[in-house]
Amino acid sequence: MNRGPGPHLWIDRVVKRYGSFTALDGVSLTASRGELLTLLGPSGCGKTTLLRIIAGFLQPDAGQVSLAGRGLNGVPPNARNLGMVFQNYAIFPHLSVAENVAYGLRARGIASSEIVRRVAEALARVRLAQFADRFPDALSGGQKQRVGLARAMVIEPELLLLDEPLSNLDAKLRIEMRQEIRLMQRELGITTVYVTHDQEEALAISDRIAVMDRGRILQVGTPREIYEQPTHAFVADFIGGCNWFEGTVSNGELRLAAGPRLACSAAPQTARLALRWEDLRPARETDPPQSCLAARVAMVSYLGHRVRLHLRACQDDTEIHADLPSHGELHMEGTTALFAFDPQRARVFASDGTRLL
Amino acid sequence: MRRAPALPPGGVLARLDPWPLLGAAALLVVLVFVAWPLSELALESFIGQESQHFGFENYATFFASSYFRRALFNSLTIGALGTIIALCIGVPLAFAYARYDFPGRDTIEVAILLSMLSPPFIGAYAWIMMFGRSGWVSEFARDLGIELPPIYGAFGISIACAFGLYPLAFLVVRSGLARVNRSLEEAAYSLGRGRLGVMFTITLPLVLPALLTAALLVFLGVVSDFGTPGILGEGERFPVLATLAYSLYLSEIGAEPGMAATTCMILLAITFVLVLGVRFLSGRRSVASDTASDLTLRPLSGGKRWAMTSGVALLVLTANVPTIVVVVSSFLEVRGAVFQPVFTLANYRNAMVAMGNALWNSLMLATIALALIIAVGGSAGYYISRRSGLLPRALDLLIMVPFVVPGTVIGIGYATVFNEPPLLLTGTYAIIAIVYVIRRLPYMTRSCAAIVFQIDRALEDASLSLGRPPLAGFRRIVLPLMRPGMVAGAAIAWVEVFSELSASIVLYTGPTRTLPIAAYQQAATGDFGMAAAYSTLLVGIAAIGLFIFLFAARGRRDRVVGWI
Ligand SMILES: Nc1ncnc2c1ncn2[C@@H]1O[C@H](COP(=O)(O)OP(=O)(O)O)[C@@H](O)[C@H]1O
Ligand SMILES: [Mg+2]
Repeated sequence: MNRGPGPHLWIDRVVKRYGSFTALDGVSLTASRGELLTLLGPSGCGKTTLLRIIAGFLQPDAGQVSLAGRGLNGVPPNARNLGMVFQNYAIFPHLSVAENVAYGLRARGIASSEIVRRVAEALARVRLAQFADRFPDALSGGQKQRVGLARAMVIEPELLLLDEPLSNLDAKLRIEMRQEIRLMQRELGITTVYVTHDQEEALAISDRIAVMDRGRILQVGTPREIYEQPTHAFVADFIGGCNWFEGTVSNGELRLAAGPRLACSAAPQTARLALRWEDLRPARETDPPQSCLAARVAMVSYLGHRVRLHLRACQDDTEIHADLPSHGELHMEGTTALFAFDPQRARVFASDGTRLL
Repeated sequence: MRRAPALPPGGVLARLDPWPLLGAAALLVVLVFVAWPLSELALESFIGQESQHFGFENYATFFASSYFRRALFNSLTIGALGTIIALCIGVPLAFAYARYDFPGRDTIEVAILLSMLSPPFIGAYAWIMMFGRSGWVSEFARDLGIELPPIYGAFGISIACAFGLYPLAFLVVRSGLARVNRSLEEAAYSLGRGRLGVMFTITLPLVLPALLTAALLVFLGVVSDFGTPGILGEGERFPVLATLAYSLYLSEIGAEPGMAATTCMILLAITFVLVLGVRFLSGRRSVASDTASDLTLRPLSGGKRWAMTSGVALLVLTANVPTIVVVVSSFLEVRGAVFQPVFTLANYRNAMVAMGNALWNSLMLATIALALIIAVGGSAGYYISRRSGLLPRALDLLIMVPFVVPGTVIGIGYATVFNEPPLLLTGTYAIIAIVYVIRRLPYMTRSCAAIVFQIDRALEDASLSLGRPPLAGFRRIVLPLMRPGMVAGAAIAWVEVFSELSASIVLYTGPTRTLPIAAYQQAATGDFGMAAAYSTLLVGIAAIGLFIFLFAARGRRDRVVGWI
């Protein structure tokens, strides 16, 4: 097995077309050994397509996938030694839980005494030991997905692929399961590609996230980088809540239609400023006037851990949200107030979506 | 990781995807055994019987002859009448079963399926025994001074066919009703419609495609039936296209194969026009609801429950009367054409003596054919439903053709094409086994395709990703999941193959005579005692096979769970 330097999974300029539609448009990506890499993007952006190309169910029209230094093009899925977890679980309904988990081990011709041991171990790890002889129709969704996990991990795959494994579960179970998956993945050190359209899930469990849109990868980075330093307007918009202000750059300054100004050395052009909802706060005396804007409070939503204000900029009626600590000062609907932000927290994007500042 | 994982063996077998190859082989088989005979027949129909010139001579002869025209008219008449009668029985039953809970449901359902067991021609001659010139009902009525209308001709044939085919209408309409989302009906009630209003404005329009399909299948069944008009039409007196084609082809005095081919083509034209017509009509009214509909049954209050049970039971019992009559009379003494109320096994003794190897032939041919139907239908169904492209679509189309082609037509086609090299098959057991397979393959293939369609594709992906080659995944995952559905399909195929008459009667020779042929011949020549014995054997063995299959389908899941 390759334990040397260099990425464990290496995806190089992969292209996939369905007829005239390009589902993947030159995707390049790497994952190092033991890393959990998440593919995050809206539905239809090509995540599943990329995952199925890695798994070998689809052939790329161009480009290469290699794993542990071995090119995978032309290798059938059953010879790739990958573990895969499916959105709808894909548990074999006619086999018991233990038979499901043993399925891949049997395919490898492993001695039955070892199969028994490894199956028991895998089931214990997903806390299903007492369900070994049950049939899948007697399991809940969460239990089924644990069987799916055990079945994929027990073969000690070179790479673990998960395609929206939690999206059929209810919200509370999703949070619980994603922690389990993450802990297990770390413990076993399995390189993992995890597909989701849920940004919170991606932020919570990933070593790195690749944000996809329309068959392209826009940014790859740690959850923190993705959230705080989006390199593309789409990334900023897709992850977390963002206020968008239209403006123009001229004379080294970005002027927003909503009022505020900030220094910007880019060439004159129209631009958009992104500001996280939690980065807007009530103005203090000390705030410089160019980072302040007046807005009318249209609606106040109390969310428990914070209060969300739905605002309208007085100057140009831009729709704005502000997330404030719920123990802070009270805002009445219909009143007008002054809000401020720290220019360091603002991100500026050109009209084509690339980052200016 | 603790150790290097064992990679699955990566040999040629692990990589081989055998399906396109199997698909191509299947396509070759249907090209030879479906496309070739039918195109040969089509060609022959244009070669003048007299002049040997290419053209419409035979068609002109056909439509110029009042006898031929009568056969066409008769076919259409019995088709229409038989369809109406079968729907009158099958549709109310379907509504009762799809909507209401009543005592005895399951038992009566078995009885409905039992009426599929006996081929219509057996019913046909039960009608003669009851209502024929010297039938006991006719005699009884005559004693009371009433002369009953003759059972021979259009009405008798339609009734006999309908009594054999109504279960088909029942099954199709019931599954159509099951797909109608109940909440649509509830919405209509809530908007103030009464029960009848809902029935006519919501339910009926929604099941119209199923009704049309049911009507089509019954109509095709009636016009393709060879045995019933053969017995109840008294040969030349009431010709229909199926019997006409047969006698034109096999007439001892001057066979006219060209005219036979033309008759076949006219019969085929009727079926294809109807198939296309129904497709067009139901395609435009596609109302498939993809949400799972509520299948709970409406409970009925005390009196109504029993009324429902008796109504349903009476319908089914009536439809089963012919079979019961045949079975009972097979144990009665016959004098001339009249059964005496004396118990005897003489009919069976005589039948055994005259049987030759008909029973053995039927058992052997039907078993071989069934094995092939299961193997080919299962894999073709899988291939058609899982793969896209030209090859699977062509295979799907060609396999389905015999579904609507009357058996007589296929039989004549085979006899025309396979009576000379390169494929000299006439007179062999093989040709009968093949015609059995080809005629019943469509049903098996379609039902397997439907089953596979419901099996989550991700299961196969999971199997692949876990290291099993495609064929191993098919065997270990798909096949076990298909099996319960396949067994039901196989049970029906067994019954139909075992009682196949209309193609094999064209193709058999002395040594390859089968049980249905023997039963038909005895009934047609008027030896009622032996015919009853043969028919009872036929129905009995078909039933035994059916029950073996149904038992195999049940109780699979309750095996002991030892997984190592
Ligand atoms: N077999 C196919 N034929 C045509 N288009 C497809 C096919 N599979 C996927 N697509 C298209 O490719 C795009 C990407 O699909 P997919 O990878 O499933 O997206 P995601 O998993 O990100 O939701 C979608 O627009 C989808 O409609
Ligand atoms: Mg997807």
